[in-house]
Amino acid sequence: MIRNVRNALTRRSVLMGGVVMAMGMASLSPANAQDAASRIVIGTTADVVNFNPLVGNSRSDTWVTNLMYPRLMQMTDKGSKDPYVATDWGYSEDGLTAWMDIRGDMTWNDGTPFTADDIVFTVTAVTTEKIGVTAGLIPSFVSATAVSPTRVEFTLSRPDSTFLTNIGFWMPIVPKHAFPEVGQVAAFANDKDWVSVGPFALTEVNAGQNYLLTAVDNYPLVEAGKATVDEVEFRVFPDVNAQALALRAGDLDLIANSLPAPIARTLQGQPGITLAQAPSLGWSHVLYNMTDEQLSKLEVRQALSHAVDYEAIRAIAMQGLATSTNSSAISPVLSYWADPEAKEYAFDPELSKKILTDAGYTDANGDGFFDGLEFSLLYEQSAADIANWAQIMKDGATKAGIKINLTGLERNTYLARGREKDFDIYAGNWAVMEEPAAYLGLAYRTGGFINYASISDPDLEKLIDEAQAATTPEAVKVPVQAAAKLISEKVYDNVLYYQTFQFAYNSDKWDGFVVQPSDLLSLVNPLSLASVKPKN
Amino acid sequence: MTMTNTSTTAPTLPPADLKPAQRTWRAFRRNPLGMGSAAVILLMVLVALIAPLLAEFPSGYGIEILMPPSAAHPFGTDDLGRDVLAQVIWGTRISMIIGFASSFLAILIGVALGILAAYAKRLDAPISMLVDVSLALPVLPLMILVAALVGPSVTTLVVVIALFSWPEVTRIVRSQALSVTRLPYVDAARTIGGSHFWIMTRHLLPAVAPIIVVSVVLTASRAVMSEAGLSFLGLGDPESWSWGKILFNAQRSGALTVAWWCTLFPSLAILLLVVSSTLVSIAYNDARNPKTREN
Repeated sequence: MIRNVRNALTRRSVLMGGVVMAMGMASLSPANAQDAASRIVIGTTADVVNFNPLVGNSRSDTWVTNLMYPRLMQMTDKGSKDPYVATDWGYSEDGLTAWMDIRGDMTWNDGTPFTADDIVFTVTAVTTEKIGVTAGLIPSFVSATAVSPTRVEFTLSRPDSTFLTNIGFWMPIVPKHAFPEVGQVAAFANDKDWVSVGPFALTEVNAGQNYLLTAVDNYPLVEAGKATVDEVEFRVFPDVNAQALALRAGDLDLIANSLPAPIARTLQGQPGITLAQAPSLGWSHVLYNMTDEQLSKLEVRQALSHAVDYEAIRAIAMQGLATSTNSSAISPVLSYWADPEAKEYAFDPELSKKILTDAGYTDANGDGFFDGLEFSLLYEQSAADIANWAQIMKDGATKAGIKINLTGLERNTYLARGREKDFDIYAGNWAVMEEPAAYLGLAYRTGGFINYASISDPDLEKLIDEAQAATTPEAVKVPVQAAAKLISEKVYDNVLYYQTFQFAYNSDKWDGFVVQPSDLLSLVNPLSLASVKPKN
Repeated sequence: MTMTNTSTTAPTLPPADLKPAQRTWRAFRRNPLGMGSAAVILLMVLVALIAPLLAEFPSGYGIEILMPPSAAHPFGTDDLGRDVLAQVIWGTRISMIIGFASSFLAILIGVALGILAAYAKRLDAPISMLVDVSLALPVLPLMILVAALVGPSVTTLVVVIALFSWPEVTRIVRSQALSVTRLPYVDAARTIGGSHFWIMTRHLLPAVAPIIVVSVVLTASRAVMSEAGLSFLGLGDPESWSWGKILFNAQRSGALTVAWWCTLFPSLAILLLVVSSTLVSIAYNDARNPKTREN
């Protein structure tokens, strides 16, 4: 028997809830509705590689497919989930069944109703074919049933407090009637005749140039019942410098990419251009490869953690657009989960030297570096912020007598080396880490989907298991905080900061964007582009 | 007679009494563009050699981020507050090393194959075909591919650039050497029993030496351009500074459009080197050619 255990997360109406900030929601004049087709031009720096939203994972992929395939819940700036397509959800008392109610007024753009069957199809395809990160997030899933067109029930193998919110945010829903059978979904290119249910339908693709989406007539998730703007064009630019020039020239209305600090600074004072900020729900960090003989020693990791000038990284490399996570894997932005007692590692190269000396390390050849302590720091060469702080990190380590060689690689090689765990120290960032019980498992459990550092600690896994089995937020909080503390004490992950993203748009022409957290959602989330309207 | 003696006594000596090298030098000296360009190249070599005396290696960070040129920082600062002048000075060193090392390697391969093709008739066709194929390859994408696969470092850049620069040298050297192989003194050398290696190194190589001099300079300048291109695409050595890397940093950080000093000075350095190399080559060629040489 299923008992309605009310979701403990904040609940508001769809329009008001989950929205971080609604900017200048000026009322739409009747004249506007009569205007000729209005088009908002959005700049991106990469083509859409994959139109299958379950497979595509680049930012451009996400920005475009987000407008076509809905997520069931939307994310608040605290990382919690609010109703969106899903209106209500909960777990049975024993935690082995979950349920979700959805809206009944949505239709795919070919006229087919959007129903619970689509959700069952999607979750079954994702788990059967193990597609993307979502599959790794919901190992407890057993089966799903559409008990009515607007209600789905899930059978779980064990109580899992993160199951519903994970599929609620991380799993875009695809049309059962327009996608191939389960078993062939991951291989489905979905590159033409799109059947979608977002505020816009993709109508034209010119690779290397632009992607044109047209507003659909039925999008009940906004007050007007459909998007205010008629067309959305994603235009491909070579880089963010070119985008900034186009925005200044009036050729572009919004830059989807987050702006590097120098560009943001120059756009700040420009007439007609407004900067919006969005918090990142992810973080930037360095991982130490635990299979390395030296890095597997706690003293070496501790020494490295005290050899990082955290303040300089945030003030200089990030130019103030970053906030400390107190060296915790649960950053304070996730205010419900974060441990207020967490404290950042002190930048103290002398302490690093003392730790190493006490551990028996010496500098026999007198070159200023402890013998045997030479590591390569792997990072993505084209990521400006990380490349900058990698240099700061190297300088800090040098002061502590640890030699770091910078290994900046182009993106694909870097990603491959990370996945293959072919590094000593790995610098990078996770885009969205909002549900501690879920991501701790992914990142720190033995064999976890993103456990690049090969961390394996039974005590840590016990805490993660405990958190994932708990069915109330209160019961989850204690073990996740204990896990974060353990990660910090054992220096399994050195979390440096979470970033504040900046985005620029033409405020002379456009009004009414809805900012959501992370650069995956930011100003280009479906609700925002369905709400934005031309001025005058 | 030494070079110094030549220069002091030159006006009194009839040109016919001078050795060819002296005649070339004498004509070269009279070309102000050539001399100016040679001075620029020598200056750059000097800067590369004494870089540690001129500026500290740009590392770490400063609080003056993206400051325009000032007395403290004549070339301004970058997005980490590092001095751009120091970057250009140290960049000269790496750009020069890569330029000349890859040029040396390319010349080595190019000259060997060029002479071999000209001298050994049976090898001429396959080598010429190899050169044609190599020249037809899309060089930049291949360089990017190789550099990306092997991983960025100064050595990678040197090898990659050299591997794609030798065919032009081979073609020029072969055509020059071909005309020499038909000369009677090569036949004479063969008649007296000289080995093939001896004939190629003692008779053909000196005959193509002037071409090699021009090729070294031009290949080096092209190598510097290639290095700048690869570094600008993010395939440079992250541990060292080159002119291309300064440009890449500016582009990556978003300073490209907002801090002109981050791009102007390294670009000027590349421009100066390439223009100077070309002018030196032209001046040298003119000075060596009796038809274009004055006197």
